[in-house]
Amino acid sequence: MEALAKAIGLIHIAASIALLNGLLTTFGQAKIASTAIESIARQPEAADSIRSAMFVGLAMAETSGIYGLLIAIIMLFANPLVNQLVSLIG
Amino acid sequence: MSLNVDNIWVWNIFGVEVWITETIVNSWIIMAVLIALAIFIRIKMRKFKEIPTGFQNLVEAGIEMFHNFAKNTLGEKLLYISPWFFAIFVFILSSSLFSIFGLRAPTADFATTGAFAIATFVLMIVLGTRHKKGAYIKSYFEPHFIFFPLNLIGELAKPVSLSFRLFGNMLSGTIILTLYYSLTPIFVQIGIPAFFHAFFDVFFGAIQTYIFVIISQMYVKTAAD
Repeated sequence: MEALAKAIGLIHIAASIALLNGLLTTFGQAKIASTAIESIARQPEAADSIRSAMFVGLAMAETSGIYGLLIAIIMLFANPLVNQLVSLIG
Repeated sequence: MSLNVDNIWVWNIFGVEVWITETIVNSWIIMAVLIALAIFIRIKMRKFKEIPTGFQNLVEAGIEMFHNFAKNTLGEKLLYISPWFFAIFVFILSSSLFSIFGLRAPTADFATTGAFAIATFVLMIVLGTRHKKGAYIKSYFEPHFIFFPLNLIGELAKPVSLSFRLFGNMLSGTIILTLYYSLTPIFVQIGIPAFFHAFFDVFFGAIQTYIFVIISQMYVKTAAD
């Protein structure tokens, strides 16, 4: 039982580390959004095409954040290695 | 609402177990609603006039909006494929709006998004070989044939990232709403979740549908043009 508790604690720490990539993802998305707003302010007649390009860029930048989220979810809810981890600890 | 995809019943077809999950039943419901809507519009279409009024206005505006959107990204040459993207668009949008009713959205399951991404991948290969013939096969061996594994991985990463993006976004909304419903007392579950649903289902759902369709169209266009 104690080994399982240790394993669950380790997995939660690992999941939170995997979610730390949200820092860089958010930074990149903020840069995309600020540049797009600058371009729209400079050229308001091109707002529609800039907006659609901005959404595609945001989605591309979001991909790495989503990968981190999925890795965290897999580690928490569908971890294939948890039995081996428990047997190694205990 | 729960985190797991529940298994509703098991069919035994010639000794092979087929699991009918919550996702499949929910997508059947959505398909039934969409097919009924399509038949309704088809019947109404017999009475459509030259000058649109009322319901005809709504249908024509919707179709024309998507037509212009597809024309901007796909171009004139590939415009005949845009009904397929319209079908995907309507299905993903209505399935993310489906979780407003407290049921599980079919797009919060990797099976659905993976199927759509594989369909886009097949469409890329088929339209690439159809429009560019040998040049499409040759593009895997550019600039030299030893780059073939790298090009192949680059092509295979497209459907993977496309499906994971939609799946991750929808699943995160489902998980946050499930946590909210299971952790809070009953008296705050009456009006407040409406804002969460508006943000995670309607706003994120609409944005991710748009992203999925526009990125699929860009992939198909780069493969075929």
